[in-house]
Amino acid sequence: MSKFWLLVKQLYVQKVKAKSFIFSIILYVAVISGVMFWSDIKEAFFQEDALQIALINETDVEIEALFESTNDIEFTFPTDDVEKVEEQVVDGDFAAVIFVEDQGDSLTAEIATFEPLTFNDQLSLSSTLQYAGKIYEVQQLNLTAEEADKILQSETTITMKNLDEQSVSGKSEDEKAAGIGASFLVGFLIYSFVMTFLSMITTDVASEKGSRVLEVLLASIKPSTHFMAKLTGTFLLALTQIGGLLLVQGLLFALIDGGSKWDVVQEIASELSFAFIGYSIAFLLITIILYLILGALLGSLVSKVEESSQAMMPAMMLGLVGFYVLISGMASPDTMLIKVFSYIPFTSGMVMPLRIGATDISSFEPILSMGILIVTVILLFLLSLSFYKRSVLTYSSGGIIQKIKTVLKVTT
Amino acid sequence: MNMTLSISQVTKKYQDFVAVNSLSFTIEKGEIFGLIGQNGAGKTTTFRMILDLQETTEGSIMWNGEHINSINRDILGYLPEERGIFPAMTVEDQLYFFGELRGKHKKDLKQEVDYWINRFELDDKRKAKAETLSKGNQQKVQLIASFIHQPEFLILDEPFSGLDPVNMDLLKQAILDLKNKGTTILFSSHQMDNVEELCDHLCLLKRGVSLFTGSLLDLKKQYGKTKLTIRTDIPKEVLAGLHGVRDIQVGRDQYTLTLEDESHAQSIFDYVSNGKYIEKFSLDYLSLDEIFKDKVGAKHV
Repeated sequence: MSKFWLLVKQLYVQKVKAKSFIFSIILYVAVISGVMFWSDIKEAFFQEDALQIALINETDVEIEALFESTNDIEFTFPTDDVEKVEEQVVDGDFAAVIFVEDQGDSLTAEIATFEPLTFNDQLSLSSTLQYAGKIYEVQQLNLTAEEADKILQSETTITMKNLDEQSVSGKSEDEKAAGIGASFLVGFLIYSFVMTFLSMITTDVASEKGSRVLEVLLASIKPSTHFMAKLTGTFLLALTQIGGLLLVQGLLFALIDGGSKWDVVQEIASELSFAFIGYSIAFLLITIILYLILGALLGSLVSKVEESSQAMMPAMMLGLVGFYVLISGMASPDTMLIKVFSYIPFTSGMVMPLRIGATDISSFEPILSMGILIVTVILLFLLSLSFYKRSVLTYSSGGIIQKIKTVLKVTT
Repeated sequence: MNMTLSISQVTKKYQDFVAVNSLSFTIEKGEIFGLIGQNGAGKTTTFRMILDLQETTEGSIMWNGEHINSINRDILGYLPEERGIFPAMTVEDQLYFFGELRGKHKKDLKQEVDYWINRFELDDKRKAKAETLSKGNQQKVQLIASFIHQPEFLILDEPFSGLDPVNMDLLKQAILDLKNKGTTILFSSHQMDNVEELCDHLCLLKRGVSLFTGSLLDLKKQYGKTKLTIRTDIPKEVLAGLHGVRDIQVGRDQYTLTLEDESHAQSIFDYVSNGKYIEKFSLDYLSLDEIFKDKVGAKHV
């Protein structure tokens, strides 16, 4: 075995056996499963009784049919005195009582509660009331059932057509919504992988430097070999973790509940373009490489392992900025902020998939962004390679800038 | 001459100071060479230049006539001054790893690993993680790691620091065994008694400048036999007044005189013994320790 692979193996075997490595896969699986199976989990654990609502009809029309009970809300129509019903609300038998009146052919409703309603319940109640109000008014117009139905079901059909032939065909709202969801998942995965492996490589280099084992290693191997071995080993670990995650998660989706979630995943995937998936994977992998190079470089600067968290701060910040820009784009993915950060190498991996998935973007822009990212990786790699040789045996105190100065001072 | 390592006119400059200045020495095959100097004298820098961990500013370092940077590094073994082993790796794995890293196969290493673990009394620590070992044991592990691949040239930076006398003897014996097998050894120390015991040749460094390079005996001859130890009832003042006595120290039940010259010893002997029996009269070379202190300009003892 060559020295390079010997080092890679040593790093890989040591880390892959570590409990934290396995735990982090479990954690990812737990988080993703939690999101995907949320409705099932909720049903299993938080099965709540439907909200009991009393409705007192003060109009002259039969409106009871407009208020159908659902899983969440159960309507009852007591004929008792108002005081008695209100008493029942106070006692907690009903969550609320609604008084519905007719005022000039429109419905008005007053909701009386003792315990305030939750925001969600309030929303669903008012939407039910709004809908009922519309039907009530339509009914007042004495239309035929068909005419009434037509008005209520009316919806404008919207299709997108982009006159710029350079641009990919416009995406439907559905596609964009799927794009936003998937981009967030991709961005989140990139962010958490980048942070995990950044800290892994920084700490690893720092601990070898701190324990002076590096000096022994470098007597036998070139610093560039060591640098490459660290990058390769950590990158293989990242691939292993991604692979493990996909495998476990895939099995979970396919086996639980007769594969119903697998169908959901496939449905989402089919809404996404092939380009989106391809770019996401490419951005994920290249961004990890970029941060690994940076992490190894920062790790080589510190004198002991305790300083490694301080050293990786700048890289952490870059990742965090990208992640927050991504979150800001969840609501509106077309802002200038998103555009700018989708080209900056350290954040583009998190931001660009959002633009590809959720906006109409010409095919040139992702290529440009990817190009910038790759060029940055190559430049940073070459820079690191020459700097690593010099920094890896220089021990100095002070902040990062001070350390860089010291390295430059004692090696030139 | 069977020349192995030759360092000629090597200088290492940093921006604002010179760490090593025009250093030259050669080490023959199968010899133990000591590099001696105070902290900051440039010993570690010299080692690092030999190991190609740092570049020389001027001068050249050759191994068997070949530039040291272009040789196969597997022939080198190195024990750095600050101990470096993988904290989370077991003792045994550590030794295999370093052996394999220097181009040995695992099956060839087994015998060596077993032998040295046994010899350094680490048998019960075989499967223990390095970080759980005592400092001395960690050092033994690292020491074995530095020569597990049977290097032709072994560099030991302060190998004795932190070892108790028993382990120090184990180490000395190991070094001598390696020498007998033909390993060329370069080591640094500031414990002069160890150097005196092991070294054939040495180099005295002070702030990057060589004060002496050559054989130990030559160094001692330079000073001559000027250390005279006497046990006598004659008072100190009288002894100090004798011709040729430069300095006198009162020991527990003896005097240690430093002579200006070896030739004065005869007349002092005649005076002190006065034709009668004398318990102790011993003329000797200065110890390396004393020479070292004299050379680097510390106060003479």
